[in-house]
Amino acid sequence: MKSYQYIIDYFENSPTIIQVVWTMSGVFLIGVVILTIYLKYLRSRLRKDEKKVAEYKREYESDLITYLYAGNDEEEISAEQQIIIDKLRSCASDEFKRSIIVSKLLRLRNDISGEMADAIQKLYFQSGLIAYALKRLKSKKWYVVAKGIREFTQLRVKEVNDEIVVFVNHPKREIRKEVQLYLVTLFHFDGLKFLDILQTQLSEWDQIQLLEVLQRFDEQEIPDINPWLKSKNNSVVAFALKLAKIYNQFEVKDALIELLSHQQKNIRVDAIHVLSHLHVVEAKDILKNNFDNLSEDEQIEFFKMLENVFESSDESFLLAHTTHQNFEIKLLALKIIKILAIEKFVNLKNFSTDDDYVKIYEFLENN
Amino acid sequence: MNTTTVEIILIIIHSLFFIYAFFAIASYVILAIISAVETKEYVKKNSFVNYKEILSSTISPSISIIAPAYNESLNIIENVRSLLSSHYVNYDVIIVNDGSKDDSLEKLIVAYDLVKVNFLINQQIPTKPIRAGVFKSTNPAFEKLTIVDKENGGKADALNMGLNISNNQYVACIDVDCLLLENALQKMVKPFLEVTDQKVIATGGVIRIANSCIIKNGKLLDVNFPEKWIEKAQILEYLRAFLLGRMAWSRLNGLLVISGAFGLFDKKIAIEVGGYDTNTVGEDMEIIVRMRRHMEEINEKYKVAYIPDPLCWTEAPDNYKIFISQRNRWTRGTIETLRKHRKIGFNPKYKSLGMLSYPYWLFFERLAPVIEVIGIIYFAILMALNEVRWDYAIAFIILAYLFTVLFSIVAIYSEELTYHQYKKKGTGFKLLMISLLEPFVLHPFILYAAIRGNMDYYFNKKKKWGEMTRKGMAKAENN
Repeated sequence: MKSYQYIIDYFENSPTIIQVVWTMSGVFLIGVVILTIYLKYLRSRLRKDEKKVAEYKREYESDLITYLYAGNDEEEISAEQQIIIDKLRSCASDEFKRSIIVSKLLRLRNDISGEMADAIQKLYFQSGLIAYALKRLKSKKWYVVAKGIREFTQLRVKEVNDEIVVFVNHPKREIRKEVQLYLVTLFHFDGLKFLDILQTQLSEWDQIQLLEVLQRFDEQEIPDINPWLKSKNNSVVAFALKLAKIYNQFEVKDALIELLSHQQKNIRVDAIHVLSHLHVVEAKDILKNNFDNLSEDEQIEFFKMLENVFESSDESFLLAHTTHQNFEIKLLALKIIKILAIEKFVNLKNFSTDDDYVKIYEFLENN
Repeated sequence: MNTTTVEIILIIIHSLFFIYAFFAIASYVILAIISAVETKEYVKKNSFVNYKEILSSTISPSISIIAPAYNESLNIIENVRSLLSSHYVNYDVIIVNDGSKDDSLEKLIVAYDLVKVNFLINQQIPTKPIRAGVFKSTNPAFEKLTIVDKENGGKADALNMGLNISNNQYVACIDVDCLLLENALQKMVKPFLEVTDQKVIATGGVIRIANSCIIKNGKLLDVNFPEKWIEKAQILEYLRAFLLGRMAWSRLNGLLVISGAFGLFDKKIAIEVGGYDTNTVGEDMEIIVRMRRHMEEINEKYKVAYIPDPLCWTEAPDNYKIFISQRNRWTRGTIETLRKHRKIGFNPKYKSLGMLSYPYWLFFERLAPVIEVIGIIYFAILMALNEVRWDYAIAFIILAYLFTVLFSIVAIYSEELTYHQYKKKGTGFKLLMISLLEPFVLHPFILYAAIRGNMDYYFNKKKKWGEMTRKGMAKAENN
């Protein structure tokens, strides 16, 4: 008791700063003790949750497989299937269990196709899970909405198209991305119509994902990409250029040539790349005549194009650029000359004493 | 001087110490809060990402992994195999054998069926010349592999050779003995592709400690908590630095360093600024500062991104001698970089780089050990003069200790609530124990190494990398 009183007296008689320091120390100590106890609880809970998830996963997986094989031709839903539907419906009211059921459904949906896949989708409707996903679309939290859309995409729920399209220009990138994936996964090239109204930038990451999804579908009629090549949204133009290359859209060559004078350098470089890929010879002269006004990146891309479409009439142009300051242009010019006119190439041996020139020449001479 | 003057001087000294400590602690707290917000946001955002689609896409951007190797004969074959096991489609691996005196090259030639090839190098950055040549494999299974054998020029020079050799858009500069997870490249390249309103110039990844972990065929099979105090303490230190520090700086777009063990760069910009500086031992920090400075000077919006996922695992020093040597080098690297780019400091032209990042690094990274040692010496003098106010001293020492422990526990929470890598029963207790003991088992050595680093910088200019012997992941494989 005495020592307790001594501590109080000491504290009360200490200068303010010491009182503050001891108070803070007390707070920190309490913090350490509380966090230590809670850490023990947290780690145990995380371990338990992992176990529980594994158990539920096993249980629901077995239920889902039973459901898939319990159907018969006489009834739309067999008695055994109904029991599983009822069980899942009741479990779905619990958020933790619902997330496990949905993840199992999604995994199964990705692993199977045909009638089985349809049955999974039917179960998604019958077990009432769709209602929970629809509720998510109304959430104020962006990640809840995005999760809902992803669920619809993976379970191929076309019926909610109208509810999802409204998010096309949502301020949150993740939501927009999920909407785009939903539209393209379910409606393939038709889904790309969102590009007409897209007001935000489509990142490279989004573009790659969309193209990957599109490439899964064969025998699709490619829509007219001309309007997208003329879009005011530069990222839409960049995406359309990728479409033109992947799907060999030679018929849009006029729009591609127009893009050679686009205000953005990256678009101009990509346009040269696509024109080169499509072997649009008309573009060569346009670029050749305007070569000195091009940026270095465009010039390099043009020389790469020349590698595909060179003619003997390009010889003097190529010779003039064998001493270009850019290493890559020098290399490409000499490389093409070697193919075009080997006797000219041989005569160029001592054309320049520039180190890079000598190195490139020797390399080409030996390869 | 009369008594009053001495008292005034002492009050000023005490006030300066107090102000410094106050701002240091306040900055740690602010950074921890920002980190928590950023980490939460990152985890939410990435729960929607389907990395498999990027993984298999042939139109994904091309990446070169550049790994310098010097006398790595012991584990080179295994390490290269690990680097070749990435699931990313569009990448290659460039191993730069930096004048190794051992049989690294011979081993590589045999193991990967290498033959010398005629290779045209665009020498955009000057480097030491090629020694034995450039090698490619005749085995299609290793077509992604290129080995360059050059004269010894140090790590920075070897990385520059890799930059010259690479034909790809991005370069991942890593330590050859690092273990990269299979999805590391797609996670690291994501910021470059998804940011549309500014240019991402580099991405840094978290480095995790692989000591005692089980690794087989270049894959991490099991995460274990090591037994040695020095290893445990470094795990805690890395958690604090990466989860509570760098994440916040990423949010503030103020990252000044990307670990040399693993970073992804926009190759064009890295070459534009002249590549790695071969005259510093802190080339990893220096190149980031130079790239940032360059972007500020050309007035282009940019970002240095940071990925908190545990993607890269490496061996940490398991004895104090190597640990001190490593930290000594880090200190010299920091001093060299800050001195070289002192123009940036407190210069509003460089915006947050000059007014926030640079001053923070100067005061709380560069000067922290110096101020701490001055404080200790001052305290010793006061003790010798019997002038210590023990009520003050004890109160402040306890406060500082409790803050350190609390901060470490917050870092542990951050780990548990996000990546939860140390799952095994009993590890939580070990992490807590090391939080209590780290100020005694690690901090004094960090301080000593930093002071040695300062002394070497000013009085031993010849000192370069210092000893960095590695036992290699083979040790982990035997566990």
